[in-house]
Amino acid sequence: MNFDRRKFLRRSIQTALGGVALSSAFGNLKAIAAAANAGGGVFPDYKALVCVFLHGGNDSFNTIVPYDAAHYATYSATRPALAINQAAVAALSLNAQAAQGGLPGGVPSDGGSYGLHPSMPEMRGLFNTQRAAIIANVGPLLGPITQAQFQAGTHAAPPQLFSHDDQANFWQTSRADDATANGWGGRIADLLYAGNPNQQLPMTLSLSGQSLFQRGNVIDQYVMSPYGVETIDYLGAYQNELGTQSFNALNADGVQGHMFERAYASATRRSIATYEMLRTVLTAPPTWTTPFPDNSLGAQLRQVANLINVRGAGGLNMRRQIFFVSLGGFDTHDTQLVTQAGILATVSQAMQAFYQATVQMGISSEVTAFTASDFGRTLSTNGDGTDHGWGGHHFVVGGAVRGGRFYGQMPSLLQTGNPNDAGYGQIIPTTGVDPYSATLASWFGVAPGIDGIGTIFPNLGLYPSGNLGFMA
Amino acid sequence: MFTRQFELIARARVILLGIICCVLLPVVGNAQVIFSDGFEDVNDKSAARFLDQASYGGRLQDIALVRQLGYAGWLDQQFTAAVSLQKPYLDWVTGGVYQQQRQEAWFIHSAQLADPSNPLLTHDDQLRQRVAFALSEIMVTSDKNAALLFQPYALADYYDTLARGAFGNFRTLLGQVTLHPAMGKFLSMLGNRKSDVALNIRPDENYAREILQLFSIGLDQLNLDGTPVIVNNARVPSYGQNQVRGFAQVFTGWNFSSCSVATFSDCEPGNPYETPWFSPMLPFEAFHDNTSNKQLLVYPGVALPGGVLTAGGNATQEINAALDNVFNHPNVGPFLAQQLIQRLVTSNPSPSYVQRVATVFNNNGLGVRGDLKAVIRTLLLDPEARTVPPASVNTYGKLREPLLKMVKLWRIAPGRSVNGRVFRYSHIRDQFGQVPLSAPSVFNFFKPDFAQPGEIRTAGLVSPEFQIATDTQLVTAPNELGWRIFLFYIGSRYSVVWENGAPVPEETLMDYSALKTLSANPAALVDHLNLVMLSGQMTPFMRTILINRLNGPLPDAIPGQPAGAPPDQALFRVQQALYLIVNSPEFNIQK
Repeated sequence: MNFDRRKFLRRSIQTALGGVALSSAFGNLKAIAAAANAGGGVFPDYKALVCVFLHGGNDSFNTIVPYDAAHYATYSATRPALAINQAAVAALSLNAQAAQGGLPGGVPSDGGSYGLHPSMPEMRGLFNTQRAAIIANVGPLLGPITQAQFQAGTHAAPPQLFSHDDQANFWQTSRADDATANGWGGRIADLLYAGNPNQQLPMTLSLSGQSLFQRGNVIDQYVMSPYGVETIDYLGAYQNELGTQSFNALNADGVQGHMFERAYASATRRSIATYEMLRTVLTAPPTWTTPFPDNSLGAQLRQVANLINVRGAGGLNMRRQIFFVSLGGFDTHDTQLVTQAGILATVSQAMQAFYQATVQMGISSEVTAFTASDFGRTLSTNGDGTDHGWGGHHFVVGGAVRGGRFYGQMPSLLQTGNPNDAGYGQIIPTTGVDPYSATLASWFGVAPGIDGIGTIFPNLGLYPSGNLGFMA
Repeated sequence: MFTRQFELIARARVILLGIICCVLLPVVGNAQVIFSDGFEDVNDKSAARFLDQASYGGRLQDIALVRQLGYAGWLDQQFTAAVSLQKPYLDWVTGGVYQQQRQEAWFIHSAQLADPSNPLLTHDDQLRQRVAFALSEIMVTSDKNAALLFQPYALADYYDTLARGAFGNFRTLLGQVTLHPAMGKFLSMLGNRKSDVALNIRPDENYAREILQLFSIGLDQLNLDGTPVIVNNARVPSYGQNQVRGFAQVFTGWNFSSCSVATFSDCEPGNPYETPWFSPMLPFEAFHDNTSNKQLLVYPGVALPGGVLTAGGNATQEINAALDNVFNHPNVGPFLAQQLIQRLVTSNPSPSYVQRVATVFNNNGLGVRGDLKAVIRTLLLDPEARTVPPASVNTYGKLREPLLKMVKLWRIAPGRSVNGRVFRYSHIRDQFGQVPLSAPSVFNFFKPDFAQPGEIRTAGLVSPEFQIATDTQLVTAPNELGWRIFLFYIGSRYSVVWENGAPVPEETLMDYSALKTLSANPAALVDHLNLVMLSGQMTPFMRTILINRLNGPLPDAIPGQPAGAPPDQALFRVQQALYLIVNSPEFNIQK
């Protein structure tokens, strides 16, 4: 038997994190049946989206920090006990590009000079080489909303604001108006799955348990361990040849008399065939040399790189893939300065290693990684930490990103009289999750119009623009 | 057999005389159902099959009891068995109380594990617990919702509410469910308030929509046999947006029992163990809509003229009128009958089976509507539940829920831990895709009309439980069950269950001693497991494969055995038999 304590603990840890949703899971037979009828063409090129979810709500106001005198004074006055050292931020200054001929994106909208948290030199490198963009103050919305509208309650806002699960769900579904919606990654897969030559492997793969982001009606995400495919332990276990034969004999095609037994055996055989295919293909050696950091997010992104590496016709034969990876620990109510430094370093190192791997595979412009999180945190502090907020800044990384630029409005960092403050230091988003997600989906290949972007993001019409322009 | 039949007839007479002495014609129908218990020979296999539907699975002693009492007699005994409750278990636990502790209580009750909170409790109310679990998958609340994530007391009490009400009247249960703060929180009726034009607030429609769609009548008008009413080749909606709005207006003004008018908008108890989390919500008239006429359901014979609840009633009067309006809708009987049959017996009951159960829902023979005890009795004693082999022998039954396979294992190879606690770690959600009261949404883990693509869907049948039999779960569930079978047994030295020279006190381990004794003869072991796991339905094909496997060569070592110990053949056989059976297609379809 292949039982080991590490695997057991990993399972337990996954559960302890608790954030992941159950799958709705319709099984991929449906996809095969539908694909047979679809008759549509397959995508000629390859593209991948990678959602890097930061569980707990990242404090982006200590991730992307002003260092010019005026803005730093405001920032440090608002966060006296929690302000990052000015010189340390300046040492990781972000060299933002000016706006380009009427296109969105440019220097920070508030005219400030910004740098990154001192533990993120790699992310700074990506930004300053224009491989990363910063999207300012994003959060779930039901259309743009002003402070006056929010405080008067005269304009719709997402329910259960400041609540972890609900807001994390809205980030993953881009449907703040529907608590039962599938994930927007899953919805894209439902729409585009027929564009993959390989119809056995789902378009959606999670390296971090069943994710709501990947939950669809037709396509059931495939969940993998960062350390490999989870296989049925019993089959192929040491000196268990007869056991394996017996299991297979009971599940063999054509031996069950009852229709439901046949369906169960068929689903089991299919599940085994899928993991065997992945396992076989993944034996190919990596074609990159970049070391990944030895931590959970590094391992997840390394496995994503492995999967992308074998995307071709001789391997998985996939043309569109959506991946979900995640890192926990961002719910920094206490001891934030210590905690956040460590996990931001992980994000920075892992995302840079992943980008480098795509460069070495010659596919950096076909792969885009983006961050998402439950919410931003309160601008106000509770002493040594921050509480649940609303809007926050996010990173988008890849060769197709119009990088080195800030997109959207930087919020005020004032403690009092802040026009972006929802009431208690939660910052009202100025960019909705809907256009943020839709921009990525459009790049990925979802067609414009009511049958494409419009069906994936039905609330997109509430915003002045459905494309933020950060993808080339 | 003559003696037994005589006893059953005699019991039927006692019931007739003692309980329903004054009722005339409907009693005859009832008596025939009871009488039918006599013509079918209750043998070990049929008793085991009955217990698979009516309980979490029959152990030898349960099978013997059913044979002794007969089906109806066993049901009567179950109807009076003391109810097992989760909340007292949480009250007993010292230290942290989270979802896992609720889960511990659930396993103790369902698998009848020794109860460390009260060793005198034997949790013999299997039927009640099994029905409560079914109800928890129909009237869903879930701690996957952030509002309930850290509210184990509220959810335990909600589950207890279902258990207490499982044999009562459905109208009563509908009221208790509606006013339970767990449901109030889950579907946001708690704190729901009347319209305020100035603040741009209108009543929340969440609970209004779901109580109609999922808990009582469903989207379409139904015939008594559960088939949809068809007019002009189309289904007929059972309600529209006007009704949703009307019910939303009714469901205003309710909040935690600790609230006041002044604190209405922010009065959630700070701690999960505080009483308001498990006390019915209370009305606050200042927030109740007493000015709107509310459009409720319209159906033949509806008590409210035109289905309209005229303005002016207080919150309690209006909610009672509205729940009466729902309860008396002709859909409720067939809607509930269909789903309870699916949860307990078969995914695709015949319309006539649904109709027989729905008929009893509408009138238990004493003129009472909504008698769940009568519904359960009818459902389990119906010829379509009891006849072996069933008419539709190749499609009858249902896929077993993954969580219930674990319970079944702990019943037939008794689970226990040193200190009575259950699981140090809790990862069953990921492995099984299921935790009681932890569905992804109000739509449960799976939907009643899910049809597995392929042969089942093509045949026009449904298979709800297949919705969670995903590529992933078909690996993780066998691995989790294998994990338990191969490593979590009494005597195992596996490092997770054995630390510092002793068993880890809170790890639940299976006792294989009785099965190991049987294993000297592999055929005897297989035949025993065939009875308690497959109700004797194992094919000769499968039996041959299993016996062949058990007679096969031993590995050099067996997981969890002390280092250097010679492989224990009895242990090997028990583990192999359990694993291969619990993951076999034949076992996985309860027939």
